[in-house]
Amino acid sequence: MQVYSIPKSIKKDSKFTFCKGCDHGVAIKIIAEIIDELNLKENTIAISSSGCSVLLYNFLDVDCLEAPHGRACAVATGVKRAHRAKGQDKFVFTYQGDGDFASIGLGESMHSALRGENITAICINNTNYGMTGGQMGPTSTMGQLTTTSPLGRNKEYHGFPIKTAEQIALCEGTQFSARVALYDVKNILKAKKIIKKAFECQLKGGGFSFVEILSSCPTNWKLSPQDSHKKIEEELTKIYPLEIFKDTTND
Amino acid sequence: MDEKVLLKGNIAIAKAALNCGCSCYFGYPITPQTDIGEYLSLEMQKKNLAYVCAESEIGAINMALGAASSGEKVMTSSSSCAVALMQEALSYASSDELPIVLVNVMRAGPGQGYIYPSQGDYNQATIGGGNGDYKTIVLSPSSVQECIDLTYKSFYLAQKYKNPTILLVDGLLGQMAEPAIITKNPYPDIDNSSWILDGAKNRPSRNIHSLEPDQNKLNQHILKLYQKYQQIEKNEPVWEEYLCEDADIILTAFGTMARSIKAVCNHFRKTRIKMGVFRPVTLYPFPYKRLRELSVKARYFIDIEMNMGQMLKDIRLGVLSNAQISFIGKPVGDWLRKEEIISAVNNIIKEQYASI
Amino acid sequence: MIKNFIISGSGGQGILSIGTILTNIFMLGNKFVTYCPCYGAEMRGGAVHCEVNMSDDELYTLQNEKADFVIALNQTSFDKFISKVKEGGTIIVNSSMAKIEKTRNDIKYIFAPFTQEAIKLGNIKIANSIALGVLSKILGNLTMENVKKAYEKILKDKKELIQKNIDAYLFGYNYIQEKEQIQCQ
Repeated sequence: MQVYSIPKSIKKDSKFTFCKGCDHGVAIKIIAEIIDELNLKENTIAISSSGCSVLLYNFLDVDCLEAPHGRACAVATGVKRAHRAKGQDKFVFTYQGDGDFASIGLGESMHSALRGENITAICINNTNYGMTGGQMGPTSTMGQLTTTSPLGRNKEYHGFPIKTAEQIALCEGTQFSARVALYDVKNILKAKKIIKKAFECQLKGGGFSFVEILSSCPTNWKLSPQDSHKKIEEELTKIYPLEIFKDTTND
Repeated sequence: MDEKVLLKGNIAIAKAALNCGCSCYFGYPITPQTDIGEYLSLEMQKKNLAYVCAESEIGAINMALGAASSGEKVMTSSSSCAVALMQEALSYASSDELPIVLVNVMRAGPGQGYIYPSQGDYNQATIGGGNGDYKTIVLSPSSVQECIDLTYKSFYLAQKYKNPTILLVDGLLGQMAEPAIITKNPYPDIDNSSWILDGAKNRPSRNIHSLEPDQNKLNQHILKLYQKYQQIEKNEPVWEEYLCEDADIILTAFGTMARSIKAVCNHFRKTRIKMGVFRPVTLYPFPYKRLRELSVKARYFIDIEMNMGQMLKDIRLGVLSNAQISFIGKPVGDWLRKEEIISAVNNIIKEQYASI
Repeated sequence: MIKNFIISGSGGQGILSIGTILTNIFMLGNKFVTYCPCYGAEMRGGAVHCEVNMSDDELYTLQNEKADFVIALNQTSFDKFISKVKEGGTIIVNSSMAKIEKTRNDIKYIFAPFTQEAIKLGNIKIANSIALGVLSKILGNLTMENVKKAYEKILKDKKELIQKNIDAYLFGYNYIQEKEQIQCQ
């Protein structure tokens, strides 16, 4: 009896190179499992971005295109439409960080949602710019200590963070928008179900589907993996609630 | 097919793009190139092709980058200050080796400038504003007929070398109409099945990326790109010569400016001054070699541009110290008139080339 | 032989339409020809003009300092382009919308009330074609077959206007024969 196996859509010889306790590995693994379950491996083009999420193509065994920082949704639009122009429907999703999706690329992201572009965007929200060493990002919370908000984020000096999944849900072209977390098994299973739903939304041709994943960044948060996940459970989910904000897949 | 029709440069480009199988266009409005997008919006929707009114030029060029990975023929068009916004993606596409055709119908700058005619983007196109060691192929038409011919060639070279290709068009030419023949695309399609991203079916997965943390691999990648650029420089320079064979003085210009100076050349030929005209058609690869051959015979070169001397440095690199070089230029506005150029050339001849 | 034309007026007067029709007529007559429209940021009601260059040989000069023929359909364009007429050239002015005033004696003036004549013919919008007819009379060498073809091509989506415009063109063509004594210098 086989209890566990590596998903087919994970490259055979790959080893996750993310920091210990980082949720990128879990996120990519469940995406790979969903690709397997929906039998999408041979029909998928994944768009990676800048930041830690760029490394997607090292692990995922599907066709993969790297987008310039922030432009993943525009690149995905081009990919999706070009294949449609030759009469083919490809499964196209982006894998971006919160800085990529909601700061530098907010224009491209939001307009893809507004157009109702039939793609799926996955946004890893770890409340800071991870790859560059933990600077304040668009999602850094009030009071959060980062290398560029050393005294804590404050509304007068730094302004407010963005609640991405809520904002994307407001777009008319969005069919599905949700926030999930990966801090325990129960939530990982729930996240997988929701991401699968977002993927199925694209397969049905519904419009823009979006999942924000609250994710840990132990290195930059300067917390242990355990404490990082405790922070997500106890602090971040209060600020960034885990909900499905919009789901019109059954309409 | 051989019938002459009255066509604007912009519409000629749009028609030629469709003729040679461009199935994806992404754009954002900016004068003086907007009619390219306007024309294609209807034609492409009718044929169920990919057309997106992008949210910005950044969006447009990145959509083009994505679409190019599918192997489809992809175009975007814009103008000067908005092409500036596209430089990042051009650098990526060059590293990714993705064939994108970018049409730049120039307006006047710097900054927002205005919609007046100018050739101020020679540097932007040939040197590029993106980061890193990369090159983009640049073609420069001088008539509406060449807008058609060089659009075909742009798609061909982009596919052949897997490299972004810029069609650099004078604003005047984009807006101007003249009779032209809508010829058939003379170039073959290039097999791209070995690299496109269309789902890893019956083959290993592929990825296209510019990130390369391994410095040796990054070095190798850039060296490989430069081997390709050497091939381009060897195979693809195209130029036009007019009465250069016996010329003492050679006028140089690109784009529509080169037409005006043929009239200037004719004027001086009547006064028994041996004058010729040299026009690079490919601005990258620049025809240095031919220019150098001509500079052995000709004693003087006068470069004439609607800018402050951007091609001048390439003329210098071609001519070296074989001959004297002067420059006549005007940055913006009404095209340099024949009379203005004649009097400027006369002044140069009087002041500097007294021996003629 | 090279001839340069400037056609000018305000947005809505059909300046660019008769510019393209004239260009097409030349093209159909196997001439080398270029057409450059010029309009400002304002799309409607603003100043509009276009340049048409025609030659028997390949055209090198795309923009010219001065024109052999200028059509000015309003006061603003009359004021603006009077200085652009070549010595010995001709300016054709819409006297319905511009004062009859001669400030130069080295050029030929033709004044005619194109707008009023167009209203009389039943459509204010065909004033431009009357002016084109007048120009064509002076040029003398345009064939009616090409004129018809050009109108049919440009107005192919507004077929009902083709005949009206050709009639207006012919009216203009015959206009200066009848009134030459009064209107021309």
